Amino acid sequence: MSDYAVRITRLNYSYPDGTRALENVDCDIRTGERVALVGPSGAGKSTLLLHLNGILKGSGTVRIMGQTVADGDLAFIRKQVGLMFQDPNDQLFCPTVQEDIAFGPLNLGVPAAEIPARVEKALRDVMLDHSYAGRTAHHLSHGERKRVALACVLAMEPSILALDEPASNLDPGTRRHLIELIAALPATLVLGTHDLEMAIDLCPRTIVMDGGKIRADGETRLLFADAELMAKHGLEVPLSLRGNHR
Amino acid sequence: MKHSFVDRFAELESPLHLLDARTKLIGFIALAAAVLYIPPGNSVAFFAAFFLLAIFAGISQIPLPYIVGRTLVILPFVLLAALAAPWGGKDGWTRLAVLVLRSTLCLLVLILLTNTTRFVELLRGLRKLGCPRILVVNLSFLYRYIFVLSDEIMRMRQARDSRRVGRVAISTEMKTLGSMLGTLMVRSFERADRLYQAMVSRGFSGEFPVAAPRSFSWRDLAFIAVVALFIAATVYL
Amino acid sequence: MHIPDGFLTNRIALSMDVLSGATVLLAAHRLKLESAMRLIPMMGVFSSFVFAAQMLNFPVFGGTSGHLVGGALVGILLGPMAGLLTMATVIIAQALFLQDGGLVALGANLFNIGAVSVLIGYTVYRLFGSPEAKGKRLSAAGFVAGWFSVVVSAAACALELGLSGAVPLKVGLPAMAGYHAVIGLVEGGLTAGVLSFLVRARPDFLKKEAAPRFGFWDGVGGLILVAIPLAFLALAGSSSLPDPLQALLPEPVAGAVEQESILSPGRADDLNRVLLYIGILVVGAIALLAARRLTSRGRPS
Repeated sequence: MSDYAVRITRLNYSYPDGTRALENVDCDIRTGERVALVGPSGAGKSTLLLHLNGILKGSGTVRIMGQTVADGDLAFIRKQVGLMFQDPNDQLFCPTVQEDIAFGPLNLGVPAAEIPARVEKALRDVMLDHSYAGRTAHHLSHGERKRVALACVLAMEPSILALDEPASNLDPGTRRHLIELIAALPATLVLGTHDLEMAIDLCPRTIVMDGGKIRADGETRLLFADAELMAKHGLEVPLSLRGNHR
Repeated sequence: MKHSFVDRFAELESPLHLLDARTKLIGFIALAAAVLYIPPGNSVAFFAAFFLLAIFAGISQIPLPYIVGRTLVILPFVLLAALAAPWGGKDGWTRLAVLVLRSTLCLLVLILLTNTTRFVELLRGLRKLGCPRILVVNLSFLYRYIFVLSDEIMRMRQARDSRRVGRVAISTEMKTLGSMLGTLMVRSFERADRLYQAMVSRGFSGEFPVAAPRSFSWRDLAFIAVVALFIAATVYL
Repeated sequence: MHIPDGFLTNRIALSMDVLSGATVLLAAHRLKLESAMRLIPMMGVFSSFVFAAQMLNFPVFGGTSGHLVGGALVGILLGPMAGLLTMATVIIAQALFLQDGGLVALGANLFNIGAVSVLIGYTVYRLFGSPEAKGKRLSAAGFVAGWFSVVVSAAACALELGLSGAVPLKVGLPAMAGYHAVIGLVEGGLTAGVLSFLVRARPDFLKKEAAPRFGFWDGVGGLILVAIPLAFLALAGSSSLPDPLQALLPEPVAGAVEQESILSPGRADDLNRVLLYIGILVVGAIALLAARRLTSRGRPS
């Protein structure tokens, strides 16, 4: 059992049409660490996240909890890595919330008798009342859908959470709720986001990506306060770190 | 498009709603077939069928205006088909009426079936009756995404209409329709891709897990008994 | 056209129920064997696409309106098995959600609008086009496929109604086929249009791996599946008990020969003639497919 949750070595990936998406990415994340993944649009953040659970396969090695992500045993990898996509509409595809949350655990082989309890717990974890179980995804607000999508991932009890823009398009109150939710989770966290303030809130460490390469990797506040670095990669120094705000 | 057009009254709690979906599927279909087997001369049987359906409709607590409204919407199509049939000879009108009546009775059965069963339950019932899993999964996706698609269509229509003044030539209409369909299709492909990624991320490997079973109750037996009695009655009387 | 309950004799309705059931089970089974995991979300999303698309009406003939059926399109894009299941889903949903089409008549509707349109559309497309087709070839093949899918589907519907006596074949077949020959132009146009749009916008969608292969013997098997219930109906012939529907229809009036139900004893040669035409079509299609297969140069089977 390694104490590295994620080890990525010399990862390269190009899309089918030839565009280079990831170039020589090397990255190690310890168990329990919380890392933010930031960068301009098209930097490769989402692409990298998709490599964590084997949806995309590049050349190079990706190891999750010591095991290499290879075509063979993806079941283990997908149990370990809970990937949450940006658009909840694509993740809520069952007629009811209950079935959506149950989908993951059932695929993992959790006995049918234990499913209701898992669903209840997942709803509680995302602070949704258990009456949500019978509702259809379409009738929920965007914020509620985001929380249900997170519940779907949490129900599988992954050891690594890979979240792609978890708080996008949310009103400030819901966003704050979600940040508190994520803060309370014990899993290793890889957070792909444009929301730099959220990155400061949740992740002591940040990786800056640009053009498919890792450009910086270090302490979040230090990186974000570096105006030159931020400007060079299409980012800005977050408000909370500017000059006389601290 | 009203978003709850399918399940509007399926959330009610009448005795019919509480029946297992399998019972209703088998029972109502058998009832429809029975109606179609009644010889046209047997008015008693027709009235008995109508009576039985009226009782069921009453028990179901589905609002009468809705049932009547729904029937009236479908009726024109039935009439159209009926008028295409060969008529003439004696009692032409009576026989036409009987034809329409048969069709309407079966329509009532369908309305009752779909409005007393939550769609999710209906799917589960179909699955347990041996319907191929893939068909049930497709129906489930259709139900889930039809609202999303109809919203997209509505927005496209609004966009199209706000850029249009007065009457439009058929060829332009066609071209626009073609673009709308093409765009919808591209979005469908992309959605399918993302869906696949989401499913696979949650451990999907081609097989769908089985849901927990539901139990029968005395109500199911009672319903089946009533339907069977009716069928027997129409055969022997 | 969705047939409501009560317009088909029970024998025809029930044999169509059995036939559609068998076809759907077969398609589901075939899909499983091909383990087409990627097709599952595609079928699901396309089911809702077709359902929605069928509600987009365009005006035809001033009064009526038509809509895209989509059988050919779905068959071409997803392959015949997946396409069939997609359309089957749509037909079932239309019956359940919109009460469009009867309960007992579901099998017939499923067969006409689901199976026939998809299989005919796919087969015709494969005859004139190929998975790698582009430009004019793609449009032409798509157009022809769309047209045939709608016309043959309408003919099947007319055949069922005619054999039931509900709409005499002499009236129904030309009317349905004629009307749909015009509608078919739109279907063909839209099918070709959407396919061209796709090739330009996202050519990767039309790649071969999206659809499983449809073999030569699948085609033969499909055509045999069609011939069987018709044979069954012919052999069942005129039974002693009149079907309730036929009992409703008027007695034959002297001279008004065309008003008789086609299944009554005096009309046996008419039925035979219809079956002969169908038989010729079936054999012709098999011969065509066989010839094409044998003369294809490196085209995948």
